[in-house]
Amino acid sequence: MAFLARRLGFYFAAFMVAITLNFFLPRWMPGDPTTRIFMALRGKMRPDQMEMLKKAYGYDGSLLEQYGQYLWKLLHLDFGISTVNFPEPTSSLLFYAAGWTLFLVGVATFLSFGIGLVMGIYSAWHRGGFFDSVFTPINVMMNAFTPAVVALLLWYAFALEWAVFPLGRAHDINLVPGWNWESAVSISWHAVLPVLSIVLVNFGSWHLGMRNTMINLLNEDFVVLAKAKGLSDRRVRYRYVARNAILPQITSLALSVGFVFGGAFISEVVFNYPGLGKFTLNAIESRDYTFIQAQLTLLTCSVLIANLISDVLNVIFDPRLRTSGGH
Amino acid sequence: MSELTEIGPFIASLSQGAQGNPAPTLDELMGELKIKRRPGFLRKFPSGVQTFLTNGKGVAGLIILTVFVVMAALAPLLSPFDPYRRAGKPHVQPGVEHFLGTSRQGKDIFSQLLEGGRTSLTVGFIAGISATLIGLGVGISAGYFGGKVDEVLTFFVNVALVLPALPLIIVLASFVEEASPTIIGLVLAFTGWGWSARTIRTQTLSIKSREFVLAAELMGEKKWRIIVREILPNMSSFVVGGAVLATIYGILAEAALEFIGLGSPSSVTWGTMLYWAQRSQSLQTGAWWEVWPPAVAIMVTGAALVLINFGVDEITSPQLRAARLSGRIKKFLKRRGRSVDVF
Repeated sequence: MAFLARRLGFYFAAFMVAITLNFFLPRWMPGDPTTRIFMALRGKMRPDQMEMLKKAYGYDGSLLEQYGQYLWKLLHLDFGISTVNFPEPTSSLLFYAAGWTLFLVGVATFLSFGIGLVMGIYSAWHRGGFFDSVFTPINVMMNAFTPAVVALLLWYAFALEWAVFPLGRAHDINLVPGWNWESAVSISWHAVLPVLSIVLVNFGSWHLGMRNTMINLLNEDFVVLAKAKGLSDRRVRYRYVARNAILPQITSLALSVGFVFGGAFISEVVFNYPGLGKFTLNAIESRDYTFIQAQLTLLTCSVLIANLISDVLNVIFDPRLRTSGGH
Repeated sequence: MSELTEIGPFIASLSQGAQGNPAPTLDELMGELKIKRRPGFLRKFPSGVQTFLTNGKGVAGLIILTVFVVMAALAPLLSPFDPYRRAGKPHVQPGVEHFLGTSRQGKDIFSQLLEGGRTSLTVGFIAGISATLIGLGVGISAGYFGGKVDEVLTFFVNVALVLPALPLIIVLASFVEEASPTIIGLVLAFTGWGWSARTIRTQTLSIKSREFVLAAELMGEKKWRIIVREILPNMSSFVVGGAVLATIYGILAEAALEFIGLGSPSSVTWGTMLYWAQRSQSLQTGAWWEVWPPAVAIMVTGAALVLINFGVDEITSPQLRAARLSGRIKKFLKRRGRSVDVF
């Protein structure tokens, strides 16, 4: 428990660093949002209106007061008003996009993890064999093919040239998404290519990670003992080696799940998918700082929570961490 | 006593087997396992380099990368046109005059590819090497000095690891209005050092407790000398492997950032070439030659670096080196009717 308490302390500190950074970034940049709105209206603004605007964005008072106010708002999940779509609160767009991204990147992450794990176990067990010496390098190389290229080529081949899958969007234009069969079909059909473009570049690293960890375990004494006891191949492979090799993979999986809210910038741009990546990019182009800030806060929170979960999982799966202080 | 009496026939059977079937010579065995002797010139290199050079994957990657680097270095000599200026009509098909055709803006693709490789590779290598150097400095100091230094540095390493890098880069890149390749490279270096710092710290901790470090300390060697002469050479493969991975990350992240339009569109890199190809809808209009050259270039460079990393991994972990041969050894044992369970 001391281990978890220490980690918790670290995550709180990291969270404070992140949100403080988040607070200062727009204040370091040339021109705060109110000045930008003022410029956009070409100076048709009375000084008192300007003051109101500053108050609405939390840019009035001393820096310390502003920081306190910022923390208070954050505590209430109040991400402020969008700079571009002026009176709209940022959170409505943020949570809409977060839903789509959670679906797209979440499905892709778990698919890549599953495929990579199965292939990794197989190629470690039959290491040096045909599958291992041909597909391990190929799968890892796909990891280096950069999503930009893979997404573009998939889009060109299957959406444009052969027109098997739709060109973009998350569902048919004239469909209102709901919990029914029709939307499920449309949404999954539209998700095939974006998900594929993420899975293709990601599963190779899971494959390699699982394979290398497993190979390093195969010569450990407990594996030799298990074989000497005459346990079945299957039992040694899954209950002895794979179970131990999966620990570091679970840690990385928790981290990737945390980064789900980073969005898949490239797939979302190429397939015009209404996720966080695409909207963050739009926000960057139109200088919608409140959206960028809100997105970074959401991402930091999810990454930290995912880290915490991975620590808890490690304590559950690895009894050694329960007794010692954990190293 | 009964055991002893049974051993006699057993030994006899062994020698009988040997007589009927004379023991194979070393050369025959090596031929059957398809193992070649290491060429003499290799003996001059350190053993890590020998391991790398006998690995087909690693050498193939190194050759491909060398070809790319040489072509990029000679870009001004090799390119037939100025990559920054219009060289012909828009979207000319690949042919005699324009080897790889022209872009929508009429720029020569082949010249752009060479010039783009120059920028992309430089940025990738600079980002990768600087990230590794930062990680090396932080990791070694944290691991070797321990105590308060370790606590403070490890805190920063963990923050760098936990903070989402790519979105942070995107935000940072958006602050400078048009991010030139140099700025992107620097930003990538300052956000990408966490992993190498962590692995190097762990490695330093394990080397620090070895006898030869203790011996050097007892002899009164200076601390920096122990770090540079005793610890650093023992983890050079970790450092090189980390640098290769960081370079892959640098090249891919740079291309990705420029592809989504966060770079400076007037610079010529593989990323901006893809960006313009996407902008000018060349795939829709059938101008495949604007997309494929930069795409293939990025893919091949990435693949070459991955192959090099396979080679370096085998230096770092002897188990992986053994795995290379274990398929052949299993077949060899099966042919002789031996059990393969030990592997």
